[in-house]
Amino acid sequence: MKNKKLLFVTQFEELWFDALRSLMDLRKTGFNHVVFLHVIERDKVAMHRGKGYLKDEEIKLREMANVRFIDWAESLFEQGMEVGAYIVVGNPLPKIISTAAEEDVDLIVTGRHKRGKFEELYGGSETLEILERTSTPVLVYKYMLPSGKVNEKPFERPLLTMDWSPASEKAADYLLSFKDILKKVIVIHVIGEKEFKSTSAMEIQAIRKENRQKLERVCSAFEKEGIEAEPHLYVGGTFEQIEKAASEREASMIVAGTTGKSPLKEIFLGSVAKKLTKHSMLPSLLVPASVKL
Amino acid sequence: MSKRVLAVDDDPDIIMFVKTVLEENGYIPLIARNGETGLSIARDEGPDLIILDVLMPKQSGIRMYRELKSDETLKGVPVIILSGIARRTFLRSQEALTEFGDQPVPEPELYMEKPVEPAELAEAVKDLIDRS
Repeated sequence: MKNKKLLFVTQFEELWFDALRSLMDLRKTGFNHVVFLHVIERDKVAMHRGKGYLKDEEIKLREMANVRFIDWAESLFEQGMEVGAYIVVGNPLPKIISTAAEEDVDLIVTGRHKRGKFEELYGGSETLEILERTSTPVLVYKYMLPSGKVNEKPFERPLLTMDWSPASEKAADYLLSFKDILKKVIVIHVIGEKEFKSTSAMEIQAIRKENRQKLERVCSAFEKEGIEAEPHLYVGGTFEQIEKAASEREASMIVAGTTGKSPLKEIFLGSVAKKLTKHSMLPSLLVPASVKL
Repeated sequence: MSKRVLAVDDDPDIIMFVKTVLEENGYIPLIARNGETGLSIARDEGPDLIILDVLMPKQSGIRMYRELKSDETLKGVPVIILSGIARRTFLRSQEALTEFGDQPVPEPELYMEKPVEPAELAEAVKDLIDRS
């Protein structure tokens, strides 16, 4: 598959150059082109009573973003990378989607936006809508170290969560395309408590055995590429157990497949992808089932 | 016959500025908003001079410059880099690409860091077109 171009979406509140620099390992996997996108939200420059459209404010915000992007671009250009930049006014979601399509990017990197209480209800849905409307994987970046610093090697110890859906199988194949920078992959499956409805110990053991064998099959695919991989089964609530596993196994990132359900459904179903985006302390790489491999 | 100058920049204000300078000095401006389109226009139209930005969508001026200077029919067209990106960065990036295995390319005929005065740009355009 083609892994060349990365769209780095920043509002400058949640993603800075250190986050981008920590992704420079991706060059070893073929990425050599970074496209910056900064969206000036329309309400910051919209029509105001007695003032009209705030053109001067737009120019100021554009130039502030431009100064930052020039500085970042210079660092990347000097390493022989290709860089492009968009500074646009509008609503972030459609701008992210249209820019990703315009540039035909292979990975979208966003931060977790800070939101008010009302918007918090929908937190994470924005990312899911990107995943629904494009076939491009999204890396939701987090500053998860207590120091406020980024993990310098997020792809070094990813935790891959498998639910045996076609989407999670795709996520596993997609993660393999980063083989040159993976050191160890922790592959987990979470068995829901309702799967233990049988009172037969034999049946429960059979469930354990079947899932364990599937995990080993996934691990073998990584091991064949010379990447250490370890399988783990967890029992309980999916999101809680993924977080627990990530913490216990010192994962650097969580990788999950997404089915591309509509955001409305996601809000009510409380999908794992949404919870990862909203609550996880770790960066989350979300891979849509429609990703082209 | 008026000389044709291709201006490649994604900033509409800069495009307007360059277009005005060119027209007021008797040149025919050709306009592109990114390196990809710029290269295509350069190949189709064969301009007498190219004014090129560096940081742009689709294809940067660094890559477009490299393509121009590696193209047998276009490598003789003088190029003015007009950018907010420092000259030092431009040259280092070209060196880095050469180290990665690309062919070396010469330095641009002129490097101007934004912003520039209209008279300064007009004089530079005239000087390079007269020389070529």
